[in-house]
Amino acid sequence: MLSHSALTPAHVALHRMQKRISMLIGILGDWAAFTGAVLILGLGTSWYMIDVGTSLTTEQRGPWVSWTSAGKADADPYTRAHFARLGALPITSDLALTYIAYTDSEGNRLHSSCDYLVEGRNPADNWWSITVFNDRGDLIANAADRHAYTSQSIAIRPDGSFSIALGRDASAGNWLPTGGAGRLALKYTVFDAGTPMLEKAEEASESLPLIRRMHCR
Amino acid sequence: MKIPKSLRNANWQLILAAPVAAGILHICATFAAPYLTAASAYSRLAPGLPVNRMQLLPVAAAGAEPLPFASPDARYAMCRFNTSTGPVDVSATLPPDLGWTLTVVTPEGDNIYATASVPSRPTPVSLVLVPSEDAFLGVTMEARGIANSATPPTAVAATRGIIVVRGPDKGFAYQNQVETMLRDAKCTARSF
Repeated sequence: MLSHSALTPAHVALHRMQKRISMLIGILGDWAAFTGAVLILGLGTSWYMIDVGTSLTTEQRGPWVSWTSAGKADADPYTRAHFARLGALPITSDLALTYIAYTDSEGNRLHSSCDYLVEGRNPADNWWSITVFNDRGDLIANAADRHAYTSQSIAIRPDGSFSIALGRDASAGNWLPTGGAGRLALKYTVFDAGTPMLEKAEEASESLPLIRRMHCR
Repeated sequence: MKIPKSLRNANWQLILAAPVAAGILHICATFAAPYLTAASAYSRLAPGLPVNRMQLLPVAAAGAEPLPFASPDARYAMCRFNTSTGPVDVSATLPPDLGWTLTVVTPEGDNIYATASVPSRPTPVSLVLVPSEDAFLGVTMEARGIANSATPPTAVAATRGIIVVRGPDKGFAYQNQVETMLRDAKCTARSF
């Protein structure tokens, strides 16, 4: 340590410069923290609201998620941004409800390494369809060229229930091949021309199929 | 009460400003998001669709999907319309079957007109797309003193967008029938 008598003007200037530099570092640190917090909070919350959605913009029933204002001219900005970013052309929720599931009914990520059973009831007087995609929304190539079932093409049991096997290997009955697609997404669309669909949302959501994981490899 | 040094030294102005600035950024990012994406549905579809002419799209197949999450559960006829040179007439008849729709979609993805089939009867749809609802479309037949018994088409204000006619897939046996119904949908430009 320098003694008091050893302090020369050069030392004082150096000391002042050190103080200024540390002050500058402090200010820069504050602003860096401010900028970081603003970016994380601002962009992060925006991304979450657009990509995942909240109860303000989506309706979640088990694994099924539907954007309630999809395709509507008066849709909220999050819904508009969601579908613009997705690059999809949604049918207005006045005519049809579209649900997407990325997980099974127990919350596990849908994956082609597992076999699933999709079980539901055929909603009376409604047209509906179930389609399997990879998680980017692409159809999964398969030799059977089979990607979807509709209320008109599925085999329904006499009691009005149905089940669809979802897996790599062919199985008897309704089967949707998943190949080696990796992460999967299921899309369920239901129409009822007679009544605006949002008024029937409760009824439609009650008849949403269950997705049960059978086994994984 | 002794305030900890770290709290005393904290820059409270910046701490309080952070949520406000984050809120402004959140709003800006949300509103800008649809315009910042390079691959909206319109920009993906538009290059492959002729202007003011209905076109039947092939069946969605793996590797040839027109859009993400486009299901092969339906066949589609689409028309990319542009009313800058004149109104566009749209006509179609939706059969008495569930799942058929005709929608007018803006480049931003909004359904500004949507109608669906009903099981009890065919649903004729007749639209005229105009650049604005105040556009002068010529002297009406009534103004010219001619009796007009025909139902006037519904006017929809839109400059650009896509008309989507959707016919549900009912299996191979009905493929020709669905395609014929979709081919009957018309989208024709006329001059002012």
